[in-house]
Amino acid sequence: MTASAPKKTEPGDSAAAAVMEAALALPVWDLPVRLVHWSFVALIAFSWWSAEYGETQWHLRSGFTLMFLLLFRLLWGFLGSSTARFGSFVRGPRRVLAYLRDPSGWHRAGHSPLGALSVLALLGLMGMQIGLGLLLSDEDGVITGPLNRLVDFETAEWARGVHKLLFNVLLGFIALHLAAILFYRWRGNRLVRAMVTGRSDDIAAGAPAFAAAPRSRLLLCLAIAGGITAWVASGVPGL
Amino acid sequence: MRHALLIAAAVSLAACGGGEADVNQTLAQANASGAQASATVANAVLAEADTPVEKTRALELMKERHEGYETIGKAMRAAKQAIDRGNAAAVKAPADQIAALAPQAIGWFPVGSGPDVGKTDAKAEIWQQRAEFDKGMTAFNAAAKLFQTAAAGGDLQAIKTAHANLGKTCGSCHDRFRTKED
Repeated sequence: MTASAPKKTEPGDSAAAAVMEAALALPVWDLPVRLVHWSFVALIAFSWWSAEYGETQWHLRSGFTLMFLLLFRLLWGFLGSSTARFGSFVRGPRRVLAYLRDPSGWHRAGHSPLGALSVLALLGLMGMQIGLGLLLSDEDGVITGPLNRLVDFETAEWARGVHKLLFNVLLGFIALHLAAILFYRWRGNRLVRAMVTGRSDDIAAGAPAFAAAPRSRLLLCLAIAGGITAWVASGVPGL
Repeated sequence: MRHALLIAAAVSLAACGGGEADVNQTLAQANASGAQASATVANAVLAEADTPVEKTRALELMKERHEGYETIGKAMRAAKQAIDRGNAAAVKAPADQIAALAPQAIGWFPVGSGPDVGKTDAKAEIWQQRAEFDKGMTAFNAAAKLFQTAAAGGDLQAIKTAHANLGKTCGSCHDRFRTKED
């Protein structure tokens, strides 16, 4: 990545530098993307805690909230702002290899072709965890997911094992995600700050400008994700 | 002493079951058989004093214990699924299975079958707070009998309640006396 803004900063006048940087930084992530991202962080941690400490009802609430956020994020990937859209960053193997060979040939804001794979893996694993969670029963047979009654017993038993196993796979991908962030930080790109502030001073000169999505689309995505989640959480009435 | 405690626990359980007459009767019956089973175990334990079981025997017993609890858990989940499906008839088999295993479970924890002997999720607290543990076991046994009776009766609402009560007796001991899975 080539920086369009001059790189600077003496550690001494960091306040002034921060002000200057903020002024030079360009929008890269919209608010829904950032809120969803940090909610994922908090809720994945909470889901682990509630399962580990037998707080099964809280585990289910956490799962349904994650389901709502994930559905929203998937819809937002088609209707959201420019950098939120899958079409703007998901690339085929040839483009991923080209990026690996020469990252400087990539001139866009948002996820790189390699980062896109990480996004797909993390969202995909979360989707699998949520889907499996809906099928299974807790160990003592006290609480069941809403889809448990719709699958046969052996499928639910299988789902319980895979749900446990996949969490460790998810942890592995989260570790990789964190390692990549550290790697970029070492190269001078502050990805965490961009995900907090929504702005980056590290956007390539030739990158197309960030395009926000209208509020009506936000409401539409929230309504669809909320409707599906409410239906599932209330036990899929009608199925 | 332990014998007396168990009887006292069973009696106090019987005393606190308010509600309809037939439920009380079932509860009393369940407690009676629970107390009987506990008494047998208590006698056996008393006879052996607190001599730990021999190691090979302990390991055998721990395997049986593990498999027994696996079966009980599976039966609980099968019963829950049947309840969710509104299929009262399908609750009967797992309820019978749990009721048959519950009295055995009381004998699965002799001295010398703890975490110091072999791989187990059973905490050492079981043997340190034996009276509390036995009380939980008696409650589990009674709830299993009530669940079996409810399942035989075929009323879905009663089955649901009995299943939930039984689940609580699982959870209360698992919280205190079982290490978390990893």
